[in-house]
Amino acid sequence: MQKNPYMPMPVDVVKIVTEVTTKDIKTFRLAFVNKEDEENFKYLPGQFAELSILGKGESPIGIASSPTQEGYIEFTVQKAGVVTSALHNLEEGTRMGVRGPLGNSWPIDYLEGKNIVIVGGGFAFTTLRSMINYMLHEDNRSRFGNITVVYGAREPGLLIYKDELAGWEKRDDIDMYVTVDKGDETWTGREGFVPTVCKEVGPASENAVTIICGPPIMIRFTLPVFFELGFSKENIYTSLEMRMKCGIGKCGRCNVGEKYVCKDGPVFSLAELDQLTPEY
Amino acid sequence: MEKRLIKKDALNGIISKLSGEMPVYAPVKDEDNVLFKVLEEGMEPLVAYSNTRNAPKNFFFPQTETMMRYMRTEREIKLSGEDGEAREAILFGVRPCDARSFILLDKVFDQEKYKDPYYIDKREKTIIVSLACVQPPYSTCFCTSVGGHPMSEEGADVLLTDMGDNYLAEFITPKGEKLLERMGDLPAADGSADEKKKELSESAEKEIKSHIPGKEIKPWLDDNFEHPFWDTIHQSCLACGTCTYLCPTCHCFDISDEVKGSDGKRIRTWDSCMYWLFTQETSGHNPRPSQKQRWRQRLMHKFKYFVDNFDEIACVGCGRCVRYCPVNIDIRKIVTDISKL
Ligand SMILES: Cc1cc2nc3c(=O)[nH]c(=O)nc-3n(C[C@H](O)[C@H](O)[C@H](O)COP(=O)(O)OP(=O)(O)OC[C@H]3O[C@@H](n4cnc5c(N)ncnc54)[C@H](O)[C@@H]3O)c2cc1C
Ligand code: SF4
Ligand code: SF4
Ligand code: FES
Repeated sequence: MQKNPYMPMPVDVVKIVTEVTTKDIKTFRLAFVNKEDEENFKYLPGQFAELSILGKGESPIGIASSPTQEGYIEFTVQKAGVVTSALHNLEEGTRMGVRGPLGNSWPIDYLEGKNIVIVGGGFAFTTLRSMINYMLHEDNRSRFGNITVVYGAREPGLLIYKDELAGWEKRDDIDMYVTVDKGDETWTGREGFVPTVCKEVGPASENAVTIICGPPIMIRFTLPVFFELGFSKENIYTSLEMRMKCGIGKCGRCNVGEKYVCKDGPVFSLAELDQLTPEY
Repeated sequence: MEKRLIKKDALNGIISKLSGEMPVYAPVKDEDNVLFKVLEEGMEPLVAYSNTRNAPKNFFFPQTETMMRYMRTEREIKLSGEDGEAREAILFGVRPCDARSFILLDKVFDQEKYKDPYYIDKREKTIIVSLACVQPPYSTCFCTSVGGHPMSEEGADVLLTDMGDNYLAEFITPKGEKLLERMGDLPAADGSADEKKKELSESAEKEIKSHIPGKEIKPWLDDNFEHPFWDTIHQSCLACGTCTYLCPTCHCFDISDEVKGSDGKRIRTWDSCMYWLFTQETSGHNPRPSQKQRWRQRLMHKFKYFVDNFDEIACVGCGRCVRYCPVNIDIRKIVTDISKL
């Protein structure tokens, strides 16, 4: 018999980083207690896991680390309700649970050999960060063409992964465009909305794929820019969110048409989404 | 397949002998209802009952089920594991529509990639003895419209058919054949029994008076997610969830934690797509904010999405939702109305 897919694996919280000035977004670095669990937790960028706090419940959260980072996994969580608040109250050294990896991933095989455009908004940058770190790893960099990243937040204090962003800016094998809607006294970077910046950058659509995550309104205004640049719906990918419980296609709650976002998604191309009922 | 005859007056003796060896769950009278209960000494199963109000799905998928237990100490929380494994048991007297529902539930809970250990453990250890509907019990039965039959053996390990003086007992699966070994000497049925069963089967089929175009509406459902018709079915719905709780094929559930002092457990409980909370997200967004969308989901899931995924309609035609809806919403009428659009 297979392992019980509902049983969380024990992990220790080894590091907590508060990402934003509003303090409601934190990144949790978790290390597996059992070597065997760590080895079984084979994931790809774009997948998610159920973070489990016994006594409170579980929340599905995208995996923010890259499989190339060994020895731990990371999740960036916004404080929202019961479970995420309990997570935010944890201290380093606490033991909790993880169940996964779950869902499909960014379409790595399809992305190979192509130019990759990554568009992120706000804190929905987590699995995009995983993808970027995955592609930038020395074993993988040659498998992908140009990498262009447009990442925006409302204000400088709301950009997440700031140290990492600075590191990527210095590299010459990735083109970074970090922007804020409105800067402050200390901000010396770009100002402007994500759709506008995408238009200015104007990445070529030939042999290129865009993957985009962010607030619905950002996505709504950004997609026309990419259509205009010649990107087809087959070459734009995004990740969906639905309320979830089981994460493995049984509890029946996260379906969009005949697909279960937890099992068949969360990653879909726009062409695939066009085939589904518009109920998400 | 082994086919035997059981004298009518011998059946209770056989069942009672078996119930000394393992738990036998069978339909018994409980005030005004018929419910499946474990047979205790001196109890006799009903064989001439119509059907139970509740579907027997709760044997494999209980309304509330503990998934794991844990202990909370000051410094950490320790998993203390799962509840024990299920015991071998017999589920006696299941109607063919309900037996067939297990085949449909298997498709959800027993998939190649993700197996649901709670369901599968109980399912594998339970022997299902079905009772054919020689006389379909309700005017609301419509099993033949959705892939079933009043005499169907689908989902049964053993099928009993009332032939007058005898029951014809067909031992369909290896699990069923093993049960035969424990039933003592039973005379073999000959060709005349087959003949008789065929006749009964034809007359039972004719007795099903309710028919719906279950498969025929699929192309319409494929193309008409947005259609004014969807505004016409939900108005009187109370969102009580009765239809989904009684339905033998509905499988949605919630997972939650319960803590008492230092002991905690994670449980799952039946949930329903008819409730607004079912899809309500923390942000306030709800992809199915009104009862219209929720009713569309219920119908679409049964007659389109499940068909897309598993090539079967997720309704076995038991008629429970029709009989027990407090405001008389009738899924047969909805399907029929759609077929006329
Ligand atoms: C595939 C996926 C990836 C996600 N990635 C992230 C991430 O990287 N960072 C992050 O902060 N948030 C992410 N979310 C959203 C996050 O799951 C919810 O904010 C969280 O579950 C809220 O739980 P809660 O207990 O704090 O809130 P409560 O309101 O107390 O939640 C009750 C229960 O509802 C469910 N639930 C509520 N809202 C959602 C939702 N939007 N999505 C899924 N389940 C929900 C959960 O099962 C939760 O236990 C993701 C959601 C999905 C589906
Ligand atoms: S939908 Fe209604 S008739 Fe069909 S199986 Fe469920 S309860 Fe029975
Ligand atoms: S039983 Fe009737 S009233 Fe209750 S949720 Fe179902 S359709 Fe609505
Ligand atoms: S979360 Fe249970 S089916 Fe997707």
